[in-house]
Amino acid sequence: MNQPISSHFNPFRVLLAYACCIAFSLVASAQAAEADLSGSARGLTLDVYSRLSPLEINRIHSWEVVVSDAEGPVTDAEIIITGGMPEHNHGMPTQPQITAELAPGRYLLEGVRFHMPGLWRMEARITRDGRPITLTIDFEL
Amino acid sequence: MNRPARVALVLAVVAASAAATWHFVSFPSASTWNEEELRLIASLSLDALPDLPPDPSNARGDDPAAAQLGHSLYFDTRLSANGAVACATCHRPELMFTDGLTLAIGAGVGNRHTPSLVGLSHSPWFYWDGRKDSQWAQALAPLEAKHEHAITRSDLARLISSDADYRSAYIDTFGPLPTFDIPAAASPTGDAAERARWSALTAQQRSDIDTLFSNLGKALAAYQRKLMPGAARFDNYAAALAASGSAERDQGDALSAEERRGLQLFIDKGMCVTCHNGPLFTNHEFHNTGVLANPGELPPMARYDGVRSAREDPFNCLGEFSDADPDQCIELRFARDTNDLVGAHKTPTLRNVALTAPYMHGGQISDLAAVMRHYNEAPTSMLSHNEAKPLNLRPPELRALEAFMHTLTAPLATDPRWLRSPE
Repeated sequence: MNQPISSHFNPFRVLLAYACCIAFSLVASAQAAEADLSGSARGLTLDVYSRLSPLEINRIHSWEVVVSDAEGPVTDAEIIITGGMPEHNHGMPTQPQITAELAPGRYLLEGVRFHMPGLWRMEARITRDGRPITLTIDFEL
Repeated sequence: MNRPARVALVLAVVAASAAATWHFVSFPSASTWNEEELRLIASLSLDALPDLPPDPSNARGDDPAAAQLGHSLYFDTRLSANGAVACATCHRPELMFTDGLTLAIGAGVGNRHTPSLVGLSHSPWFYWDGRKDSQWAQALAPLEAKHEHAITRSDLARLISSDADYRSAYIDTFGPLPTFDIPAAASPTGDAAERARWSALTAQQRSDIDTLFSNLGKALAAYQRKLMPGAARFDNYAAALAASGSAERDQGDALSAEERRGLQLFIDKGMCVTCHNGPLFTNHEFHNTGVLANPGELPPMARYDGVRSAREDPFNCLGEFSDADPDQCIELRFARDTNDLVGAHKTPTLRNVALTAPYMHGGQISDLAAVMRHYNEAPTSMLSHNEAKPLNLRPPELRALEAFMHTLTAPLATDPRWLRSPE
């Protein structure tokens, strides 16, 4: 015997479902937070999340860089990041270094500073299993 | 007049007209700024200058009592061996804290041109070659340099301990003074006799004197942190432009047509803004721009050596007299030291540049017109390479750029009482 639909209606359940939807969408949007910069090569992807956002010149700051491949985060990677301005034939004013792996595949890069407006090119040399891969990221400041 | 003579005359008139146009006629520029130009103009305005961040290596950097002590020290000629040299002797308030000389003259003639101190607290590096990483550490070196104050740290400690005003101001700000009998003329950086007297002290006594010495630097830095530029005609123009909500270049009397053309060249074809950027018109960085060494001086290694000196300086951010945690010494820990820094000197501020001639690290260039010509030609560097490229600007364009430099002049945004001796 079918019961009337109205007897199934529970306002608390609806509210709970609604709250779950909102929570899920918040978590999803947080997880999908767009990287400030990204680059990929030979199956490796590097996403940059700057702790100074938007990026600006003349302020030293840190980046969090996330390295991943098709199987997920790349841990214990050896990463050297350099940068410069190809149009001016010079490098960065600082020598940034990876100083910690904050979470699997998520690394802290300290000492990032840019001193000129214009086109910048960052190169990340990532060595995994003794094999170096170079990723290049170009951006305008 | 025969025909060949007429042809020659016409050709001569045409050539003279072309030359006159090249030298004297300004071509009209657009009537509006584009979006990128508007962004750059706003980025140069003093309105974009952030609050002065604290210096973690100087816990007294923003302490009013330290600034007051620093103010007294800054103008006091007793801080010199001959009793005639104060900080204010070379960094003269009435000349935007420069001296108008080619090379600084203290107890002797130096080998560098006196840079302005205005807005300098925003910089992470000090000296033309960046050999100091804080304003307080910088302030210590001229006190003992033989061509500047030529005093020793032990004599400074004796002065502070014996002068009743300094004694009480020091104790109130920094705590107890050394309790032992401080010898005269002892320093690890002085001549053989001064070094010998320094070596005769115990490690604790040397540390006590160095603590006092570094605190004097911290007080002098607290004073210098007050020296900030005021809004100039350029800033008024940038503000009028922002307030108008339009991109019209002509904003009434704020800047003349020639000054606006200079601004255009500054951010565009002249490429000045690549280094002279931000509200202080400097990126606080080091560049080789092909300036000749002073006569008799070998081309200096400049920042290449400067960054190495900063790392070895006992008064740097990581040293025992710094108030910072090592984690806070980011600039020093991650400073670049590569070969492209050979011959690279610090970009100076252009705020009040019309009042601070001569120019460059050795005062090699006497006036602004000659500076414009230097960058227009971008001569080959004596050491390493000139980062700048020839600009090929015409004479009226160079004059416009120079005119724009004069729009950056303004009284300081500093209480006038800090600009004269406290006596």
